[in-house]
Amino acid sequence: MLAQTFEQAGFSTVMVTMMPFWAEKMGTPRTLGVEVPFGHPLGMPGDSEMQMMIIRAALSLLQDASGPGAARDVEVEWPRPSDEARKDWQPLEASPIIKMMREQAQARAEDRRRET
Amino acid sequence: MPVDSFKYLPRSIAAYYQTLRVDRVDPIPWTALSKPLRECRFGLVTTAGIYDREREPPFDAEREKRQPIWGDPTYRRIRRDVMQSQIAASHLHINTRDILADVNIVLPVRRFVALEEQGVIGSLASVNYSFMGYQPNTNEWQERYAPEVAALMKDEAIDAVLLTPA
Repeated sequence: MLAQTFEQAGFSTVMVTMMPFWAEKMGTPRTLGVEVPFGHPLGMPGDSEMQMMIIRAALSLLQDASGPGAARDVEVEWPRPSDEARKDWQPLEASPIIKMMREQAQARAEDRRRET
Repeated sequence: MPVDSFKYLPRSIAAYYQTLRVDRVDPIPWTALSKPLRECRFGLVTTAGIYDREREPPFDAEREKRQPIWGDPTYRRIRRDVMQSQIAASHLHINTRDILADVNIVLPVRRFVALEEQGVIGSLASVNYSFMGYQPNTNEWQERYAPEVAALMKDEAIDAVLLTPA
């Protein structure tokens, strides 16, 4: 959404995202897909080589894209095992919306128990 | 191998995203790059919820805790010469530990200063922007805050923007 507003305002934008599926659905002008955990679009902390590799791929896409909806992936080898990485990016405490949904699910389950 | 958008998501959230319907903007807005990269002035925009603790307040996470279907729609300014120690984050949906270790994984100010020095890009803006990406409703972004940031970037003669959702 931000990309679209900025593009409309006259900026050329390129988005680096771990959810190219979502970007495609939304209609993002230029999308570079990266398979990395959330919170890490440009790679690992302290790894300027990995960060630069992703940034250079984004700049190439910006330069080469010829029309709206341009999308490309860049291959990144994530140095942590995926099971670990899947847990690692998540907040230590569940977010308010997740807590709320869990509470609602629990309440529904209790209602069902009472009914039976 | 194409990027798997759901590799790092818990199954329930992945299923939610896969079935969620969105109104795709049609046609997709487009501004062609008007000059070579080495002449472009770049702005950086992230949705990682970071802020400069010495200059601005955090995003309002307390209200979100009380009202889980709300996310702070405002933005923060991050200067290009910000020190890592000034970076703080208020984002309740990701673990921000790695960002607090190295802001360049979401807002690559150091990397873009290096690209400027190498002559790969024209320049990096003096001020860059941070939003907090949890927005159940993007009306305020759309109507107020994104246009405000666009106007500020126009004032700085920005040509191109790197966006990094977190």
